[in-house]
Amino acid sequence: MPKDPSNRIDLLQGTLDMLVLRTLRSGPAHGHQIAKHIQRTTDDLLQVEHGSLYPALHRLERKGWVAAKWEPAGAELKREYKYYRLTPAGKKQLASEESKWKRMTGAIARIMWPAKGA
Amino acid sequence: MEADDRRDRPDHVAGERGMSMRRQADREQDLDRELRSHLELASEEYEEIGLPPEEARRAARMALGNTTKVKEEVREMWGWTRLGIVVNDVRHAVRTLRGSPGFAVTALLTLALGIGASTAVFTVVDSVILKPLAYRDSGSLVMLWELVGPMSRDPSGPNPRHADLWRKQATAFGGLALSRQRVDGLTLGTDHPRVVGTVIGTANLFEVLQVVPLLGRGFLPEDDVTGHDNVAMLSYPLWQNLFQGDPNVVGKMIRLGDTRREVIGVLPAGFHFPDANALRAFRSKQPVSGAPEPAVYVPAALDLNKISWNGLYGNWVALARLKPGIGITQAEAQLAPIEAQIERDMPAGQRFDRPGMLRASVQPMREAVVGSSRAGLWLLMAAVLSLMFIACMNLANAQLGRALSRQREAAVCSALGAAKWRLIWNSLAENLLLAAFGGAAGVVLAALGLGLFRRYSPVDLPRLSEVHLNITVLLFSMALTIGSSLLFGILPALRLLRVDPQNSLQQSGSRMPGTRQSGRLRAWLIGLQVFGCTVLLLVTGLFSKSLLQLLHQDKGFETGDVAVAEVRFGTTYAPDPSRIAFDDAVLQNLRDIPGVQSAGLVSAMPLEGETWIDSIRRVDKPTPELLINMRWVSPGYFESMRERLVAGRFFEARDRSLENVVLSEGLAKALWQNENPIGARIGARGTKFTVIGIVADSHNTSLKTAPARVVYLHYAENPPYNAIFTARGAQSASSLVSGMRQAIWKHAPDITIVRVKTLDSQLSDSLAAERFQTLVLMAFGIAALLLAMLGIYGVLSYSTATRKQEIGVRIALGATRSGIYTLTLGEAATPVFGGLVAGLIASILAGRLIQRLLYGTQAVDPSVTLIVVALFLTAAIAAAFLPARRAASVDPMEALRSD
Repeated sequence: MPKDPSNRIDLLQGTLDMLVLRTLRSGPAHGHQIAKHIQRTTDDLLQVEHGSLYPALHRLERKGWVAAKWEPAGAELKREYKYYRLTPAGKKQLASEESKWKRMTGAIARIMWPAKGA
Repeated sequence: MEADDRRDRPDHVAGERGMSMRRQADREQDLDRELRSHLELASEEYEEIGLPPEEARRAARMALGNTTKVKEEVREMWGWTRLGIVVNDVRHAVRTLRGSPGFAVTALLTLALGIGASTAVFTVVDSVILKPLAYRDSGSLVMLWELVGPMSRDPSGPNPRHADLWRKQATAFGGLALSRQRVDGLTLGTDHPRVVGTVIGTANLFEVLQVVPLLGRGFLPEDDVTGHDNVAMLSYPLWQNLFQGDPNVVGKMIRLGDTRREVIGVLPAGFHFPDANALRAFRSKQPVSGAPEPAVYVPAALDLNKISWNGLYGNWVALARLKPGIGITQAEAQLAPIEAQIERDMPAGQRFDRPGMLRASVQPMREAVVGSSRAGLWLLMAAVLSLMFIACMNLANAQLGRALSRQREAAVCSALGAAKWRLIWNSLAENLLLAAFGGAAGVVLAALGLGLFRRYSPVDLPRLSEVHLNITVLLFSMALTIGSSLLFGILPALRLLRVDPQNSLQQSGSRMPGTRQSGRLRAWLIGLQVFGCTVLLLVTGLFSKSLLQLLHQDKGFETGDVAVAEVRFGTTYAPDPSRIAFDDAVLQNLRDIPGVQSAGLVSAMPLEGETWIDSIRRVDKPTPELLINMRWVSPGYFESMRERLVAGRFFEARDRSLENVVLSEGLAKALWQNENPIGARIGARGTKFTVIGIVADSHNTSLKTAPARVVYLHYAENPPYNAIFTARGAQSASSLVSGMRQAIWKHAPDITIVRVKTLDSQLSDSLAAERFQTLVLMAFGIAALLLAMLGIYGVLSYSTATRKQEIGVRIALGATRSGIYTLTLGEAATPVFGGLVAGLIASILAGRLIQRLLYGTQAVDPSVTLIVVALFLTAAIAAAFLPARRAASVDPMEALRSD
């Protein structure tokens, strides 16, 4: 359950894809796990509407950055989940997004806090 | 990211083109399953932290958000399959069309009407005019005619001896056959004879036509000899009807007239021989109503030696097949010297008094068969084309108005990020939907129309029974109508590509860009529509007037309460005393029918043209010979027809002199001018006759021509081969019909009664073509008028809607209501009057073209013009009134406040 809704930050446009790719770097996961992971890691700070995750996943799949497969899991492998995993192209994409992001946050930081940046 | 994706879309679509619906469905299932498992996991988690199952599921759904939207987005992500797009856009199109039922209904009706009417008529024209003969290589089939001296303006069937020489000497023909037709009574045994059309042909007839019998054999040269000619071939329908398709029919006997004949073969199902009307030996002869379809074929067994060298013209028609590479003119050039030689070789007593009186002409068989119906059919086609034209204008107008009013909607969509190609695709989908429904309705209408056409068509349309809905024609008219609809639907939509949404949105909703320019275009479209409609209405008016003229002219006889019966004699009733006895007995039986006032007999069916054209002269002084019609009548004939006596007396029962004749008034005037002809003598048929009476001129040969000059002779002088009995009764003519049949069969049960009908129906049959034409034209005229009204209404209501604000300002500034009426009506006035005037001018031209088809009516008829103009203006004002009233009742405050 979200702790304090008023504190949550809306995800910046276009960053969800990067977060998903980053999450998948640690191994295959299904949609629910990815959502939980992002939420948990940011202490529920980042607002990811679970629904919006799926279009993002399908978009990434379509671009060939992730691959998906239905695999049994859970107790006694009774249920199947659609597991997404990073493809080599996805890894590359993640690297480039990451560096782009770094440069951007760096640039923003230099404007916001000039003393530190100089 | 979102915006990026949209721009990518077309590529996606291209890339995914190969994706089948199946894969799309799989993907949908996949996503469903994925979302379901997500919900399961989430609600399990909520349950773990203590929520009741119901609550947990609800919370999980809340966290996931709007699944429909998610699915929509994912679908978007993968791009649509082509079918997916279509389904979606069709759904959208149905929604938008429901939103504007006026437009949808107009467009659908226009499409259906345009496609239906044009397909039906095109189909008929195509099969009747463009390819009327279903014979192999029918293009090389020709008819050979002879133009004979005094009768040379009317090509006639050739003298069989002449035709025989053509066959032997000319190299142009691959085969030359002679045929003639008659109506016979056919029986299998003891039943009353049934009436069939018989074709009497030379043995090579089917060879020339290249038709192979379905059963048995065709004619052999041996059959074509007198004494061996008692054989017959049956048409497929007759074989089915008479013998129930018995495969062992060959060898069975039938009785045709007085002759027993052996069936030797059956013709294939698709074979039709043009009926006696289509192949009449005198081209100017009136068509006979109810000429039976040829059903029995018998050999001619012509004995050429018994045929005179100069005479018997117009009894036979000659059919030939041109050899490959030979043209009409070449064939005629070959016949010319043969004809000259024939003239020189004629026996002294039969020769013409000067040379060059004999000429042969060659005519494509197709042309001969289509003959007189051609002009009427082209007229019909022209009417359909104008209707189509008006329909297309209407569609264009409706589409244009719609596209403009949607411009703002489109601007909003495009501002919200809709791809422009998608907007165009939307309007395309809408059009395709309309086209599909309109087209389907059109096909149904065309089929219905063809059915009506077949049932009510005039008698002289050849091969109508063979007319079936023609797919090519259907596709053509669909392409035309739908094409124009699409064109005018898409063109404005393409403009959307150039529309700057910002600019467009800044415009007030009631003042749309391009209004003035498109207003002018729409005015033009209205003008053109009015133009087409005016021409069509005027032509319709001319035909209606012509028909009324035909019906209400002074006919010279009265049709009410008269029935006519045609009897055909075999050789049993040769012109001898027994034949006279028959006539007298039947006449007595007819007079004995209760209520019958008078009964008579005549040698030619009324209203079926001129017959027995012969020459007469005065005996007392040399005058030029006059060509006249000879008719043999009995006492009581004139009385039953109520023809008027001008001088002298009619035939009476006490008359025993066969030398008495009655002349028609016009003929008497031509011979004696103002002298009294009663008692005068005329020479005809190699003997002399005495004039006992003068009868008023009557249109009894045809309502469409001037009264013929007729010599009426006593029936006993030459008992006619075909006797037409007439009876006038106190009771209705229709009850006379069965009475006449009984009266005739009471005396001779084995006689063939060709037809019994009321004189009224004979009259209306003789005008069937004219009535039909007028009816169809009227239907087209009304349809065109309705379309034009729709068009005017549409344009005005659109423009008053867009000018609401302006009108509001005017009213606020003191414009009167009547001023607003004038303003609105004035807007329609220019195109309407422009179209009307152009239409009137064009109709003068059209009138010239159809002059030949009109009777007693000039191409420019003031009364017709006046009526049409009045009708049209009334209709136009009616169409303009509603929008004008709407404009006049604009509330200025509301108009200024809104948008």
